[in-house]
Amino acid sequence: IASIEVPRKEWPDLVGLLLANMTRADSPVSLKQATLETLGYVCEEISHEDLVQDEVNAVLTAVVQGMNVSEENSEVRLAAARALYNALEFAQTNFANEIERNYIMKVICDAALAKETEIRQAAFECLVAIASTYYEVLEPYMQRIFELTSNAVKTDEEAVALQAVEFWSSICDEELEIQDYEVPESGDSVASHSHFIQKALPTLVPMLLETLLKQDEDQDQEDGIWNLAMAGGTCLGLVARTVGDAVVPLVMPFVEINISKSDWRSQEAATYAFGSILEGPSTEKLSPMVNAALDFLLNAMKDENSHVKDTTAWTLSRIFELLHSPATGFSVITPANLQKILGVLLESIKDAPHVAEKVCGAIYFLAQGYEDAGPSSTLLTPYLPDILNSLIITADRTDCSDSKLRSSAYETLNEVVRCSNLSETSQIIAKLLPAIMSKLEQTLNLQIVSSDDREKQGDLQASLCGVLQVIIQKLSSADETKPIILQVADQIMMLFLNVFACRSSTVHEEAMLAIGALAYATGPEFGKYMQEFYKYLEMGLQNFEEYQVCAISVGVVGDICRALDDKVLPYCDGIMTLLLKDLASSELHRSVKPPIFSCFGDIALAIGDQFEKYVSYALPMMQSASEVCAQMDNNDEEMIDYGNQLRRSIFEAYSGILQGFKNSKAELMLPHAPHLLQFIELVARDVHRDESVTKAAVAVLGDLADSLGSNVKMLFKDCASCSELLGECLRSDDEQLKETATWTQGMIGRAYSVCG
Amino acid sequence: MAPHDLRRPFKRAAISDQQRRRELSLQRQAQNRRDAQHQARFLAHTILSLQNDSTEPEQE
Repeated sequence: IASIEVPRKEWPDLVGLLLANMTRADSPVSLKQATLETLGYVCEEISHEDLVQDEVNAVLTAVVQGMNVSEENSEVRLAAARALYNALEFAQTNFANEIERNYIMKVICDAALAKETEIRQAAFECLVAIASTYYEVLEPYMQRIFELTSNAVKTDEEAVALQAVEFWSSICDEELEIQDYEVPESGDSVASHSHFIQKALPTLVPMLLETLLKQDEDQDQEDGIWNLAMAGGTCLGLVARTVGDAVVPLVMPFVEINISKSDWRSQEAATYAFGSILEGPSTEKLSPMVNAALDFLLNAMKDENSHVKDTTAWTLSRIFELLHSPATGFSVITPANLQKILGVLLESIKDAPHVAEKVCGAIYFLAQGYEDAGPSSTLLTPYLPDILNSLIITADRTDCSDSKLRSSAYETLNEVVRCSNLSETSQIIAKLLPAIMSKLEQTLNLQIVSSDDREKQGDLQASLCGVLQVIIQKLSSADETKPIILQVADQIMMLFLNVFACRSSTVHEEAMLAIGALAYATGPEFGKYMQEFYKYLEMGLQNFEEYQVCAISVGVVGDICRALDDKVLPYCDGIMTLLLKDLASSELHRSVKPPIFSCFGDIALAIGDQFEKYVSYALPMMQSASEVCAQMDNNDEEMIDYGNQLRRSIFEAYSGILQGFKNSKAELMLPHAPHLLQFIELVARDVHRDESVTKAAVAVLGDLADSLGSNVKMLFKDCASCSELLGECLRSDDEQLKETATWTQGMIGRAYSVCG
Repeated sequence: MAPHDLRRPFKRAAISDQQRRRELSLQRQAQNRRDAQHQARFLAHTILSLQNDSTEPEQE
């Protein structure tokens, strides 16, 4: 009730009433405990802006007092510690004040040593929250916190130790974020970096390494497990990303000592430590060690212990992800060791499902490294039939309780196809196509008696539609291989329509993605499928809830427009109605809205002057969206990014419409020209303007001049920012941008030259 | 009060192919759109060049 009423100021005396329970001398313990719990819930539900500072102070005082070591009742102290966790967000003013901060920190650190486990755990939870919320004021407390976390990790119960590790993971998160925003050359950053991880490194790393030996017997087989070894290794990975090379000499002795021991825990821990530090340190630092370890790791895939094999396969996948990049000239994989590597991987993919899944990951990154790798990509070609065959066999396995391995196998197959050298592998991929089509066909005839069956069918169909999308896209990317798709387009489309009829949203998205690729491949031929497909497109465009389905459907409209040109006209009334509804909806995720504007451009370009009837609906939407752009919050990274997307898409809409009307109805856009120019001016002055927005802006400026010619020359005269933008683009190093700007300059010049 | 969730990705699933498929589709669509609009401009540009060539053959 408070979460509803407090923000509306409809329960002004609530905090006072609750606090009275805490200060009254005769309040029973149970009332104090219930009051603290209530304060915790209230703090969790409302924003600190809903309370005045006096109320915040009073709440914090009550909570911190309840948590103090002088509080004799442990239930009250626990309730207070839990309430403080929720009240920390409210304590900004108090944390800015050194005396108050010292007091709060002292109470929390004392509670971290309470004799009751739950109080210690709650106190560490507070420290974790403080690591993220108040990183910049932590310096004076770090020594004490290090001692507390270190003791907790070494001797306390797991629930407490996990929070202690999480404290350091949260510090890493903060420091990584600060480093992300660092100005590259000066090393300066916007926020203050205290280098806590760097400073704690010599003692922090040994503490984390110790946790790696505390594995659970069944941690790889069961979902939902989270233990000290997992938390410690994850934290070690974050530490490596935070400090880079400095972590290596602290970890390697542990790896070397433990890898040769005979028990699985030592071997697994050594491998996990090694795998965890592969991201962060430099290639120069890592590559000698990885080269030396590779053979050992490949042999360890034959170990008798499945945890060792699981972690080894994961480590191999990390090695291939991070140290295999032939396109840039560096890889731990060579023509000499590739055969052995693949031999081991294709043997190990037959291992237990959780091991096989990690092996799929290793193959995924191995293949990915060869993408765009020039002559090196040829290296993988001879192995391709065996790799694809193994992945299909893996996907068909029936010994797994869920569909994770199957999805991993198909997703790996996708990456192998995507990254293959098409000129050498087209025949292999062409053979894969009917095999996957036949699998998809089989799913249509599965007997469905329960919702579980339905879900399994949906997952499988989604995976297979994904594979088909990748194959269609790959084979249609070259004129020589496109006919392979065209020959079976009717059958593929029939399958997709049947899949739609099974009605599951994941499948809907996957099939939609694949259909977009098919429309691109078939071009005008896609027209024959439209009548039957249209109802599913409509469904997709109306799917507000699964907004990804809606977004993909909008993209497919664009593909269809380019494929069909003016043959899409009979469907445009329906499509435009739905797109306008989508734009007007407050329910639909905002990320779908920019693509809708781009889609207006696609439709207009396809149907030309037939877009006239939509102008009075589409243009006001574009104008109000451009006004929204003018009022966006420029301090929020996410909003800046969204603003750039929206700006670019509005320009794309204008470009398509101007180009579509150019030959016969250009004058329809004349009344809208001043607004467009104002919008270009706004964007030209935007300091956060992204390169793609600049390109779209200078292009639409040219489209305006091209389409409306001398009619707009007076408007150009008043647009100083437009000339500056054009000048900026003409001076750019980006050839494409310069080319467009030169064209725009030519169009403006022509507008001036016509009729004097 | 909601318990603090500690779990982080463990030996994280390396693959998010669905997201990759979405992104690659979007890239393809964006590229096709740019190409289509560029082609529309290029045609205009060719006509313009032809006009210029015929009227100002010595143009610098």
